[in-house]
Amino acid sequence: MAATLSSTSLPAGSGPWQLARAELRRRTSVKISLSVVALFVFMAAAAPLLSALGGWSPDEFDKSAVDPYLGGLPIGPFGGISADHWLGVEPVTGRDLFARVVHGAQVSLFIAFAATAIVVTAGTAAGVTAGYFGGRTDAVLSRLMDLTMSFPSLIFMIAMLSVAKDVNRILLMTVVIGLFGWPGIARVVRGQTLSLKHREYVDAARVAGAGPWRILSRDILPGVAGPVIAYTTLIIPGMIATEAALSYLGVGVRPPTPSWGQMIAESVAFYDTDPMYFILPSSCLFLTVLAFTLLGDALRDILDPRGSRI
Amino acid sequence: MNTRTLTTVAAALAATLALGASGCSGGRDGEDSARDGRGSAENPATANNGAVVGGAPEKGGTLTVLSNTDFTHLDPARNWVMGDMDFGTRLLYRTLVTYKAAPGAEGGELVPDLAEDLGAPSNGAKTWTFRLKKGLKYEDGTAITAQDIKYNVERSFSPDLPGGPDYAARYLAGAEGYQGPAHGKHLDSVKTPDDRTIVFELRKPFAEFAYATVLPTFAPVPKAQDKGPQYDNRPFSSGPYKIESYARDKRLVLVRNTHWDPATDQVRKAHPDRIVVTMGLKGNQIDDRLIASSGADASAVSWGKMRPESTPKVLTKADVRARLLAESSNCTEMVQMHTGRTPFDDVRVRQAVQYALDREAIVTASGGPALNDAATALMPGSLFDGKQPDTLKIPLTGDAAKAKELLKQAGKPDGFATSITVSNGDKGVGEAIQQALGRAGIKVTIETVDPSAFYDTIGDTENRTDLVYTGWCPDYPSGSTFLPFVFDGRYIKEKGNSGNHSLFRDKPTMQRMDEIAAMTDAQQANQAWQQLDGEILAKAPTAPAVIERMPLLLGANIAGAYGHTSFGGQIDYATVGLKDPAKSAG
Amino acid sequence: MILYLGRRLLGVVGVLIAIAAVTFTIFYVLPADPAAAACGKSCSADRLAAIRAHMGLDQPVWRQFADFVTGIFTGRTIGSGQYTLHCEFPCLGYSYENSQAVWDLLMDRLPVSASLAFGAAALWLGLGLSAGVTAALRKDTLADRVLMVGAVAAASLPVYFTSVLLIYGLIRATGLLPYPQYVPLGSDPVQWASNLLLPWLALAILYAAMYARQSRSSMIETMAEPYIRTARAKGLPRRTVVVKHGLRAGMTPVLTIFGMDLGGLLAGAVITESIFGLPGVGRLFYGALSSGDQPVILGVTLLAATFIVLANLAVDLLYAVVDPRVRY
Repeated sequence: MAATLSSTSLPAGSGPWQLARAELRRRTSVKISLSVVALFVFMAAAAPLLSALGGWSPDEFDKSAVDPYLGGLPIGPFGGISADHWLGVEPVTGRDLFARVVHGAQVSLFIAFAATAIVVTAGTAAGVTAGYFGGRTDAVLSRLMDLTMSFPSLIFMIAMLSVAKDVNRILLMTVVIGLFGWPGIARVVRGQTLSLKHREYVDAARVAGAGPWRILSRDILPGVAGPVIAYTTLIIPGMIATEAALSYLGVGVRPPTPSWGQMIAESVAFYDTDPMYFILPSSCLFLTVLAFTLLGDALRDILDPRGSRI
Repeated sequence: MNTRTLTTVAAALAATLALGASGCSGGRDGEDSARDGRGSAENPATANNGAVVGGAPEKGGTLTVLSNTDFTHLDPARNWVMGDMDFGTRLLYRTLVTYKAAPGAEGGELVPDLAEDLGAPSNGAKTWTFRLKKGLKYEDGTAITAQDIKYNVERSFSPDLPGGPDYAARYLAGAEGYQGPAHGKHLDSVKTPDDRTIVFELRKPFAEFAYATVLPTFAPVPKAQDKGPQYDNRPFSSGPYKIESYARDKRLVLVRNTHWDPATDQVRKAHPDRIVVTMGLKGNQIDDRLIASSGADASAVSWGKMRPESTPKVLTKADVRARLLAESSNCTEMVQMHTGRTPFDDVRVRQAVQYALDREAIVTASGGPALNDAATALMPGSLFDGKQPDTLKIPLTGDAAKAKELLKQAGKPDGFATSITVSNGDKGVGEAIQQALGRAGIKVTIETVDPSAFYDTIGDTENRTDLVYTGWCPDYPSGSTFLPFVFDGRYIKEKGNSGNHSLFRDKPTMQRMDEIAAMTDAQQANQAWQQLDGEILAKAPTAPAVIERMPLLLGANIAGAYGHTSFGGQIDYATVGLKDPAKSAG
Repeated sequence: MILYLGRRLLGVVGVLIAIAAVTFTIFYVLPADPAAAACGKSCSADRLAAIRAHMGLDQPVWRQFADFVTGIFTGRTIGSGQYTLHCEFPCLGYSYENSQAVWDLLMDRLPVSASLAFGAAALWLGLGLSAGVTAALRKDTLADRVLMVGAVAAASLPVYFTSVLLIYGLIRATGLLPYPQYVPLGSDPVQWASNLLLPWLALAILYAAMYARQSRSSMIETMAEPYIRTARAKGLPRRTVVVKHGLRAGMTPVLTIFGMDLGGLLAGAVITESIFGLPGVGRLFYGALSSGDQPVILGVTLLAATFIVLANLAVDLLYAVVDPRVRY
């Protein structure tokens, strides 16, 4: 990576973050994936606005857009795309696909981001604590990491979601997905902390009388930030895929709430009679996952070149 | 569509009503279809109704049944689901009496099976005597005896063997508190004076007892073969086929029972050499395989209903459409409201639901107008001389304004939140209901339940949701097999409730039902039921939605197939076979 | 080595008991009425009474759990009085829904899941590793780029999407393969393989893509290690260096992930099995979910955990063989 870095002309003495930003800007894959991510995040954030613009709420039936004699297939080419329905309609119900896709983005991305936030916060805290304090704390936390990683996570998530009734599904999914992801990042952070804690500047701070809290927040955390950011970007696609898988299996969001996984699950049955319906949510999911993976790859190359993977 | 509905045995009149010619399925019955205006001429899906598809089958070959699910129970003491009863009693075990193997209305006629005739009533129809045919044998060549039938009736009382029909418990004398033959206790009201004679003593006169003996409860089980709950996995055959292997939820293979003597059996044709049921397949994949009908799939039939998504692939192609059975299930599907709970204890709230409901959307979600008719009354058209009346005159798409007004009168101007239980396959219907009621301000949460657990879930009157989506099928054209089962408050059970899912306990209704049941003139009773139907509908315990068909796809090599009207439109397994046995994979 | 093995085995047992405790808490302690929960959605009053007697709900919770764990190792008689039920070693409970011991149900389904998992694993290891290593050795060439773009795209495709494409492409449109239908390996190996090919492919495409990415980066790292450079400097042929030194060390991180993945899949690929209608553990689990058959849910969870833990152990032991730097 050093070779590629030198090719950009930056003034001497630029900080590491500046260097990283410059390197990121240079890559085409990063530019493309960033714009894809931005597009979908915008879609999710502005979902109510966008669907109002389209003129349909995500739960509104439009019987005039489907043909009941053909099992409710959309009327018109490409799944009923028209001036009225920009991306066509859902078969049977005639619900507007544009409205459902943007609202689905909101649900899918919210769950993915919130779960990621839980994972990163918990993982970083556990990793830093285990790495910095060592000894018994480390032993206990490391055991806990091993234990959590031995859980068959998908099966366990499904089971927990099926046992819990009458709770806010979105919140529950977030927590359940977040519950099993933290050991991965904790291990990365722990390793990083171990290597940082005996650096001269950390020892110097300790000698100068700084308490552990101050050292952790001032000296260690900034040091682990790079790998954590890279790792975070790389686990987001996994989170999106997990949400989709759970909704696909029917333990996710409840109808009529749309999510990409739920939409794909419903549309599979129509893949040959109404391919647009199937392709639309699938490609949204595919593009988002792909974009985050590419972005994560780039960030890892730059921020964590030695690859402190587990 | 309550799969548990069956051959309910009811009062009087089967004969006078000429069994069937049910309007919505009466393809061959010109008079009827002309009257109801929904005949086969207009509907592309029902061309095959009342006819045998594929001509006469040849003997031999392997018939494949493609199924998305396992059988609920094949143990004759526990088998009480429409299709399962068809499969069990047509292939594996024989009962005292059975239905004629014929398409259309003729399928409602009784014919003797193990018995020599339809039973001899005496003592004012309180005692019924059946005499078994000669030369009846099990799969191991031993003789079928009257004691074996008595034994199966007794074991149907066993708490270890739940799930079966409870007609024996309802009608046999001295059956109260009986717990099965486990501890050497026997039912004195079932007598077997010799190996070929069985006598049933009933509590009260019951002229139609022969209908009850169609049930699997009245199939023989030899005591030596009984393995308690495990018997479900390997019922001992008295029919034309025996079980070669049965891996639950995977595959069932039937082969010929060489000891079955066709001379003793006027119903079962037993055309194929082998019958293989492959279970756990995806519904859509089953449809796709049967549409393509290539290779061994040409010799296959589907077990479950065709998926609504497959409708366009089938109805648009004449050659595929010709292989579709769509006999009416004759069941009215309804949104049933818990009348014992607020806010549904208020008739105005229930009427609001009737007005808010969008039946057009429900029809679409159930597969479209080709496979469903919107319901305008409680009893299906066959009980109204062909066509349901429309007494409430609510527009098909509902009337949200009127619904809101009713809610306002009921003191719920802002609506309320409630929930509905639907079977997994009816999720689309659930969403249509959710959307329609939402227009009136009723916020509905959908609970989906696996079909295998559906009836038990909604049968728990304490824990179930306010609303449930389910229906009822009359067992033959008499209002007495419908209204009392769905609206008589005296039949409500706290757990395992069935039929009356609105928990409707209306004194005048119950009184009127008793009056009609006591009528001797069939015609008069019939009209009284029709009138009562409208009166109940006005009290709004349920909101009728649709009347469904049983769409089943057949492979191109299938012959002798028709939806049997007495088995909810399921293929009659007594007669189905192959055109060219050589084409089926051995 | 033996000492190490003993220590690890003890650890395995500890982890499994901990997992059993957590699962047990979720299914037996948290529900308001554990007996009703175990009874499932289609619960008759008689069955409920039997389950109440079986579960020993009058006993303290730790006692119930101890009984449960003991049952796994020795088998046990469930219940008392007229409701006794013998559940043989290894007793994972009893499915009232299926009237069968959970263990028997699992063992009935396991061959299907194992066929799916091992077949797919062979495919994805072959595809993924060869792609990854090729890309690593030709770093920054066109081949590398093409392979890695393909891998990142394939890894982003959800398995249910790939499955539908495969079903359409290989069955519906061309008729190259039959609709999958499980045929036991013992009864007809050719049928077994041709029926499973499609689900294998569906799973393998996803995993191969992930393994290609993983093995590439791990190979690149290894090839930059000083000892590899030394070996090259000694004049060993490139082929020998790559195969004898590079691959061995480079594959260890891949092996770790492989242990986890294979372990998880052995206890059922829930989505793949349900898409292709394969009667494996995953579909048993899915069916148990919709009928609320909690003893089965608990059993599958424990089985999956056991496989993951054992696979991890096996992988750690394999390290010693693969990576010369690791000694116990």
